Amino acid sequence: MTQASPGAGNGIALRLDRVSKTYGSVRAVHDLSFAVDEGRFFVLFGPSSVGKTTTLRTIAGLVPPDSGTVEIGGKDVTRAPIMGRGISMVFQSFALYPHLNVYDNFAYPLREEKTARGEIDKRVNETAEILKLTHRLRAKPATLSGGEQQRVALGRSLIRRPKILLLDEPLTNLDAKLRHETRAELKRLHRQFGMTVIYATPDELEALSMGEEIAVMRDGSIVQIGTPDELYERPVHAYVASKIGSPHMNLFKASVRADAKSFDTPLGTLVPAAPCKTANAGEAVLIGIRPSDIRLAAKGEAAVASKVHLLEPLGDITIVSVEAGGEMLRMVLPEATAASIRTGDSASIAIDSRKIHVFDAASGQAMT
Amino acid sequence: MAESIWGKLGLRRASGVDKAGWGRTLGVAVVAFIYFLPVLFIIFTAFKPQGDALLVPPTLSPTSLFGLIPDHFVFTPTLENFGSVFSRSMTPGGAPEATGFDRYFFNSIFIASVSVLLALAIGTLAAFGFSRYPLKGNDTYLFIILTTRMLPAIVVIIPVILMFRVVGLSGSYFGIIMLYTAFNLAFTIWMMKSFFDELSPDVEDAARIDGSSGIRVFFKIALPQVIAGLAATFVFGLILTWNEFLFALLLSGPDTRTVPVAMNQAVSSGGRGTDWTLLAAIETLFLIPVFLVTFFLQDHLLRGVTFGTVKR
Repeated sequence: MTQASPGAGNGIALRLDRVSKTYGSVRAVHDLSFAVDEGRFFVLFGPSSVGKTTTLRTIAGLVPPDSGTVEIGGKDVTRAPIMGRGISMVFQSFALYPHLNVYDNFAYPLREEKTARGEIDKRVNETAEILKLTHRLRAKPATLSGGEQQRVALGRSLIRRPKILLLDEPLTNLDAKLRHETRAELKRLHRQFGMTVIYATPDELEALSMGEEIAVMRDGSIVQIGTPDELYERPVHAYVASKIGSPHMNLFKASVRADAKSFDTPLGTLVPAAPCKTANAGEAVLIGIRPSDIRLAAKGEAAVASKVHLLEPLGDITIVSVEAGGEMLRMVLPEATAASIRTGDSASIAIDSRKIHVFDAASGQAMT
Repeated sequence: MAESIWGKLGLRRASGVDKAGWGRTLGVAVVAFIYFLPVLFIIFTAFKPQGDALLVPPTLSPTSLFGLIPDHFVFTPTLENFGSVFSRSMTPGGAPEATGFDRYFFNSIFIASVSVLLALAIGTLAAFGFSRYPLKGNDTYLFIILTTRMLPAIVVIIPVILMFRVVGLSGSYFGIIMLYTAFNLAFTIWMMKSFFDELSPDVEDAARIDGSSGIRVFFKIALPQVIAGLAATFVFGLILTWNEFLFALLLSGPDTRTVPVAMNQAVSSGGRGTDWTLLAAIETLFLIPVFLVTFFLQDHLLRGVTFGTVKR
């Protein structure tokens, strides 16, 4: 197996600059800019109809953008035909050719490139082997299982050795167990072939587990691009904070105290580790705290009184929802600690105030 | 899967459909028999001796079924009528003359198949355009196309005849084929558009990404997926055109006469009253081509008719 280490490419594989696309009155993508390094596994993450598919279709050349430019390998391809972009795509619906068997589905892109017959045969068999489809080469797509259809779609995209592979929610139509397997399979294929991958998904787990770099999208624009760690540790927007991390970050309203360094919150005064330079006295803010940064208070520690609302045991951890100061907070406790808690109990909780995130209440932007 | 007796007969069941029980099958058989009875009667009449056609009570069977059917319901089958279709004496006691029906059958087959295929070729392209590259006012254009079939033929026949006279198209193959093609187009476009609408546009986009040009997407990806639709449209168009009488009567000439027109003239000329057994023989022969086409395309036809109603 040839090992191309991900992200080792020197150049930029793909660059979108201020791309906008409107369908009728619907703004699908607005002022979208990002660049992806060669060989990178790049995830477009956001809920459905946020513009992920339009972005992929623009990159592929299926829809021309209204404005902005698309560069592939340093060349402006905004108005270039689809052919020659070196791109292939896996559709959410798989989009297999229903009238062709698996062999011919694989061979289709090669035949369109006028590849020699012997070479086609070799590549098809190779691809079928990699994807464990050798025994299904004569089957029509309709007779395949969901997982097999998915692998055919992948194989058809990989057989041309694309420089960039676009994946549009490829796991959405699979059941839970298959999703897990296919995630591992996709990572393996990415390592094996070393191509740049642009992966669109509404699923946080897929994004975090597969993405080397994740772009969080909202209303056709990107809110933040970063590694999974960066998005988790330093969300630049309350939207990102509320989308990344499971369970999601607790967010509640607060205001800046007169000293401009600490905050009046329903849970008492909180002082962040580093003072917010941009905070002005009296300003309304959103305070965010990860469920894992709330714990039961030790004896003698400054604590907030709360009432237990809901227990969600998840094996070795339990998600505990408590009400404190009129806010509903979620915290993650080890199963052993949570075992003694019952719904309706009072609990003293302590918030690690060095770990709080501060966002502007109006714009949602992080304040530093 | 081994083919059952029904499969050998071409009566294949659509897969995934619940098999009907005996009761329902029997019910369908009874209804089918009632519908088929007139056709059966015509076919039997074609084999009857000339005098038997109007007997009351009618003769009903070519065989006594080993004595099961009383003798006065049994007729002696003959092929004489079929011979008379092509050659018979036109005057009492006269020598047999060729009737020209071989020519008329050729005309019917030629005119119907050429005009239906032509409409299919043009209409399928138009339907793909309407489905995939909608224009501003797409629905209006489609409606306008449909309006060409809204008037009964009798309403438009006079201007059509005048136009044909003026440009000299009356009595020519070209003229009648053009007319039938135009008639079939509206129906072909509407029908094929609905088949194209059912296809997943993702599949065609995938082909574009795989390197296909627009024209290759149409021929290599879209068209093979609507084979069933083409078959269904072909058969429906063929039946409509095959049976058309009014325009054929007024626009075909002696050389381009089709069977429905010739049939009318064969039985109503000579002032000897209607020769029912001859008529039945012509009708029976007339049924065969369409029956064969439908029979050979029936697998596609079934899928074509149920397209979109069955989950794929």
